[in-house]
Amino acid sequence: MQAETGAGAPSLLADHFDGRSGRARPVRLWLDGASLVVHDQDLDVVERRYPVRDVLWPERTRYGQRQAQLPDGGLLVAKDTGDWDAWADASTMGRGLGGGLAVRWFSSWRHTLVALAVVVAVGGATWQWGVPAAADGIARYLPSAIEQRIGDESLEQLDEVMLKPSKVSAADQQQWRERFAAMVASQPGEMTAYTLHFRDAGKRIGPNAFALPGGHIVVTDELLTLLRDDPDAVLGVLAHELGHVRGQHGMRLTIRASLVGGLLGFVLGDFSSLLAAAPAVLLHTSYSRDFEREADAQARQLLIDSGRSPRVMITLFDRLDAWRDERVAAAKARRASEPAGLAREVDKQVREGAGELISIAFSTHPSDDERKRFFER
Amino acid sequence: MHQQEGDASTGGLTGWPHSSFRKRKLEIRFTGSGSEYFRIWIVNLLLTIVTASLYWPFAKARRIRYFYANTLVDGHALAFHGDPWKMFRGHVLLLVLSGVYSAAGHFSPVAALVAFVLMALIWPALWRAGMQFRLGNTSWRGMRFGFSGSLKGAYVPMLPLWLLSGSLVTLGVVIGQLAGDRPEDAERVMQQFSYLPFLMGGVVLLMVVVMPWVLAAIKRYQHNGYRIASQQGELRLGSGSVYWLCLKALGLGLLTMLVTGIIVGVTAGVTAVFGRSVLATAITGVVSVGLGYLVFFVVIGPFFTARLQNMVWNGTSSDELRFDSQLRLAPLAWLTLKNWLLMLITIGLYRPFAVVHITRLRLEAVSLTVDGDPEAWVASETAANQDATGEFAGDFFGIDMGL
Repeated sequence: MQAETGAGAPSLLADHFDGRSGRARPVRLWLDGASLVVHDQDLDVVERRYPVRDVLWPERTRYGQRQAQLPDGGLLVAKDTGDWDAWADASTMGRGLGGGLAVRWFSSWRHTLVALAVVVAVGGATWQWGVPAAADGIARYLPSAIEQRIGDESLEQLDEVMLKPSKVSAADQQQWRERFAAMVASQPGEMTAYTLHFRDAGKRIGPNAFALPGGHIVVTDELLTLLRDDPDAVLGVLAHELGHVRGQHGMRLTIRASLVGGLLGFVLGDFSSLLAAAPAVLLHTSYSRDFEREADAQARQLLIDSGRSPRVMITLFDRLDAWRDERVAAAKARRASEPAGLAREVDKQVREGAGELISIAFSTHPSDDERKRFFER
Repeated sequence: MHQQEGDASTGGLTGWPHSSFRKRKLEIRFTGSGSEYFRIWIVNLLLTIVTASLYWPFAKARRIRYFYANTLVDGHALAFHGDPWKMFRGHVLLLVLSGVYSAAGHFSPVAALVAFVLMALIWPALWRAGMQFRLGNTSWRGMRFGFSGSLKGAYVPMLPLWLLSGSLVTLGVVIGQLAGDRPEDAERVMQQFSYLPFLMGGVVLLMVVVMPWVLAAIKRYQHNGYRIASQQGELRLGSGSVYWLCLKALGLGLLTMLVTGIIVGVTAGVTAVFGRSVLATAITGVVSVGLGYLVFFVVIGPFFTARLQNMVWNGTSSDELRFDSQLRLAPLAWLTLKNWLLMLITIGLYRPFAVVHITRLRLEAVSLTVDGDPEAWVASETAANQDATGEFAGDFFGIDMGL
């Protein structure tokens, strides 16, 4: 296919489409200085010239046809990539046509592996520092009205699906509010706005407390019952939740999760959104463990500042342990006393078992032992 | 060419009618390679990351060019002429629009409603502009494709969806206004409109019911708008057949759920009787549910994809072209399973291979019969300039959606 033209430049036979008709015309190509010469093989007089840099040259890939797009809408096609590349190299003293940084990189496996390593490193750094920094920045400059709105809406949602109004009397609720306010006031520094809510969460959720964006702290009746003889432990739990409020943890976590979801969706998204969502959920929990440690540190400080021992929290973990054991024992006893209704039992077992597995794999808190040691110090 | 002349001479001897001996089958081949696309993908990804996504349109143009240069119709590859700088503008426009849209919902329900109405007005026009851009920048044998669907036509398939979801959003806003901020007001309004949940459920159900019609209307609008040279696409696709397909997919889905349920029940029952180990039951449960999901994605997804592709392309024709798609379920399901597993094992790195393999399977299942001579086709200038304003929107913003 390759031949010398009269002027001595290497030439190539290719197909030319003029962009108007579907007919392929056989042409001979060669470079003459900064021009590409397209010489029609059938009509000897027709010869077109184009500046080399106005032609969109094909990138050098192993598969696929070589297509050069001409500025007048025409197209040059070579079906044999080897011939084309040999001609392009010979015409440009080995520099080739249509090269570039990207082409050099994807043409070599070694460069590709370097690129892969950089992508992984950048991804890891984004995960480790980029996402948290960006999310914290957004959280800091987010108008507080928006955070308030998100918090209010989440509380409404929870009230609808999981929580019931508290059975604790209004007087007792007021007492808890005052006790906690006094505790917070004992600590110097800027006051944090928070709202304390009491809710009945039923047996499934049990003794618990959580903080939502916008300063909402929710305590379940079950927690107050569990720690009824140890008010300092309750205050310790509230102090932990206040730590979340102070650190804007709820909002920061939400923004981080959506950033991770968005980034993964960008990289993998056009294949499967499900695949992109799964790691986002998984990774979200490891961020949250750091926040728990931070809130624990805040709680410890507030307990010390208000003249209490951080060791009150040990009671909490012991009681929670006992509560869990009791639940398991109760479930076992129920199973023993009711041999009938196998299907229902199986269903329940599967659910409980699955819940246990998930809590092992997706634990959002550090382990109780680690936390106990922290409050014992 | 030579074969065609041979056919012509035989036809001449046996005296067949002129049009039938000119019929020729055009095969579609896809010659892309997974390992090569992997290298392109990684380098594209790197450049996109280090430029904070600014390189994205260039990466996309490279990807499309690679896939087109490897898509051979009758031995001639497709070519992509899109200008990445124009695609960049479209990319930014779409980013801004979707950002504004999702932000509006956070401010107030009324803002969300306004944003929704604006989106409903703009989206079909953008969709059409996107198809004009993509097809107008795709060529075969040097001849550009085109999209000639009318602007009005772009709104028709979306209309029922906009109306139904619009009524849902409006309902939410009105109730929100009535309920106000005081909880007792909310209580009263809820009692007053106790049928509200049923009404909303009904609207959602109606949306599900209308979906197959929407899908059929979308396909008809798209395929009737495709053109190259003097060939104008025409799709014969009744909504009834799409409904029937959706029903079959639904039936398959229910069957999968039933079978998974039975497997979970039986295995859990057996372990409960013999083992009494919560963990073992849990593992069985998780594995069975996982398998159920897998069947869902590996069987029902491919079933729907394969049947819809065949239905749509077998119904598509033009004056001189007829399409034939024979995508079979078994190979597609098997390939999907393989792709999913390898993607999971390689945490996503297998994706470029998966894309290449799926593309090959789906493209090579299609062939064309041409009754005439593509060599004699001539791009019609008049058709190209028919709708300059629409072309301009697509061309200026370089909106490009889909692969």
